[in-house]
Amino acid sequence: MNESVLMLTIVAAIGLGTPIVFATVGEILTERSGILNLGVQGMMMIGAVMGFWATFETGSLWLGVLAALIAGAALSLIHAFNSVTLRVSQIVSGLALTIFGTGVAIFIGRAGSEPLIGTPSREVFEPILPEALADLPLVGPLVFGHDALIYLSWIIVATSSYYLFRTRPGLTLRAVGEDPASAEAAGIHVSRVRYIHVMVGGALAGLGGAYFSLALVPSWQDHPIGPAGWIAIALVILASWRPWRALWVAYLFGAAGRVSFTFQTLEVNVPADLLAMLPYVLAIVAMLILASGKRARLLGAPAALGIPYFREER
Amino acid sequence: MTRRLIIEPRGLATWWLKLLIPIASVIAALVLGAVFLSITGNDWLEVYKKMADAAFGSGRGFAETLVSATPLILTGVAAAIAFKMLVWNIGGEGQLIAGAVAAAGVGIWLADGTPAVIAITAVVAAGAVGGAFWAALSAVPRVYLGTNEIITTLMLNFIALHLMQYLVFGSSSPWRDPDATQFPQGRPIIDNGRIPEFFHRLDWGLFIAIAVAIAAWFVISKTRSGFEYRIVGDSFDAARYAGIKVPRKVLGTFLASGAAAGLAGSILVAGILGKMDPRSLDLGLGFTGIIVAALARLNPIAIIPVAILMGALNNAGPALQSIGVPSAVVMILQGAILIFAVGGEFLISNRIRRPERHVEETTAAAEVSPA
Repeated sequence: MNESVLMLTIVAAIGLGTPIVFATVGEILTERSGILNLGVQGMMMIGAVMGFWATFETGSLWLGVLAALIAGAALSLIHAFNSVTLRVSQIVSGLALTIFGTGVAIFIGRAGSEPLIGTPSREVFEPILPEALADLPLVGPLVFGHDALIYLSWIIVATSSYYLFRTRPGLTLRAVGEDPASAEAAGIHVSRVRYIHVMVGGALAGLGGAYFSLALVPSWQDHPIGPAGWIAIALVILASWRPWRALWVAYLFGAAGRVSFTFQTLEVNVPADLLAMLPYVLAIVAMLILASGKRARLLGAPAALGIPYFREER
Repeated sequence: MTRRLIIEPRGLATWWLKLLIPIASVIAALVLGAVFLSITGNDWLEVYKKMADAAFGSGRGFAETLVSATPLILTGVAAAIAFKMLVWNIGGEGQLIAGAVAAAGVGIWLADGTPAVIAITAVVAAGAVGGAFWAALSAVPRVYLGTNEIITTLMLNFIALHLMQYLVFGSSSPWRDPDATQFPQGRPIIDNGRIPEFFHRLDWGLFIAIAVAIAAWFVISKTRSGFEYRIVGDSFDAARYAGIKVPRKVLGTFLASGAAAGLAGSILVAGILGKMDPRSLDLGLGFTGIIVAALARLNPIAIIPVAILMGALNNAGPALQSIGVPSAVVMILQGAILIFAVGGEFLISNRIRRPERHVEETTAAAEVSPA
């Protein structure tokens, strides 16, 4: 049963979905503060390379994770400065981050006399629970067979959902994203809240990138993360800015990414390139149905998303 | 007590400031790039010399720079006319590819003896139609359903990319060259559909691109339609009160933007490529167009020199490999230029000054702490 095609697909979907979970939850926290960051792809890239490099140098996976978190947050600081302090176009600034971050990551991977490119990772995240548990029928592979970062992603989803909807700072965050002027009048430091959540989003995107280079495809290549960052941005809307939904849609997209392999094992012959379109077609169709016009607001889109906030305007 | 600077919106910025900020952005990016190169153990001066030499050092080098600049002028215009109207078309990649697919399709389908003028016109125009069609897939939902175009244009980039790869690598479609059995390749378009070269790989497509940029400038600043366009770009509400049909205007702009990006694709197919070559059409030209548009401050005329600068960078990248420096330096520089250019917009739209002592307290609300 644990070897059935369906089971293998679900397990693969969880693995492929996990980096997207990190990045999507991060972007949800950022967007909840009213800042749109289209730099997810760049932050993931820089997290992927710095995580890989730190683990390569130190032999420690967790130092790699730390490096990825710091790198993602550091890059997002540029976006926070541009969009919160300078209040220039968030869209263009985010795109700039993506181009810059991707360039830096590819450069670091290829620089030096012994470049990282092509090198396998020194350490790799592997299942942490005893095999006896992972071999249990059904729950084994689904619940007990994962590496530490997958469990961490569940913890992050649960905590960020609790934080957003059940705590005072979470309420503050949502207030800033809905109506920054009123939040400011209520004594909230809007800029500080936005800076913090842009950087938390960057850190989580960095972690998502590192999941690629330290677990999913543990050897360095120019584009280890594919288009995961772009998908995460789309999934924020489909998850209607809620962390738990982000988990499920990310797994769904993980499954869509796995579909061509599954079809191969089932000997269904569909060209790989057509199947590769599937996640994107899915995202557009879901957008059309769920998130068109006023429905986006009903879904939970922060009212002030993407709008620069001028404190002196009264 | 810390001394705080007063930041206030500026009315109209002077022309020299609008010129100075983009130039300063480029210089700042080069300085940042030099620091980055030095940290990673490279001789930055040697790298920059090599790049300048590859891009401008010889007639052929400069011709290659212009070859690289040609599609960037068009994707730059595509981004600029959309962004000016707050239409966030970041699907230049996909629209360029859709244009290339359409152009190659027509160029393959045309009979061999078709007169060159007709053939070239048909192939190039097909690209504009293909790009506009691809943009319509995002534009129609945006205008009539209010669907966020950032996401749909982005997703359509990937769909277009996989579609193109399917047509050449994944199927025996008419786009695939039946003679290329070892490595799948696009089928060449008819010879009469090729835009003639006039100097070392440089073809007349460059002038089509420049003409499109000038035409965009003319329509925007000299015609009634362009006047309405500028009103919509300033404020949807004001435009509505003025009796302008905003949805139609947005739709038209979006399609024109897609058409410009599609033209970039067809000029590549009819020009240097001669076929739909998936590897040469997946170089991020759409995204680089956004850098071009931002650095040109959305001015279609300024796009021409800026595209040549970006083309120079793109052209210089491969030359770096001969001195062991990754060509990703180019991407770093382009990303940094965009970061500084977008940040620099702040200095164009705002004025910073020291507070005069006696008004310091009364203007407290206008103060911004240097974060």
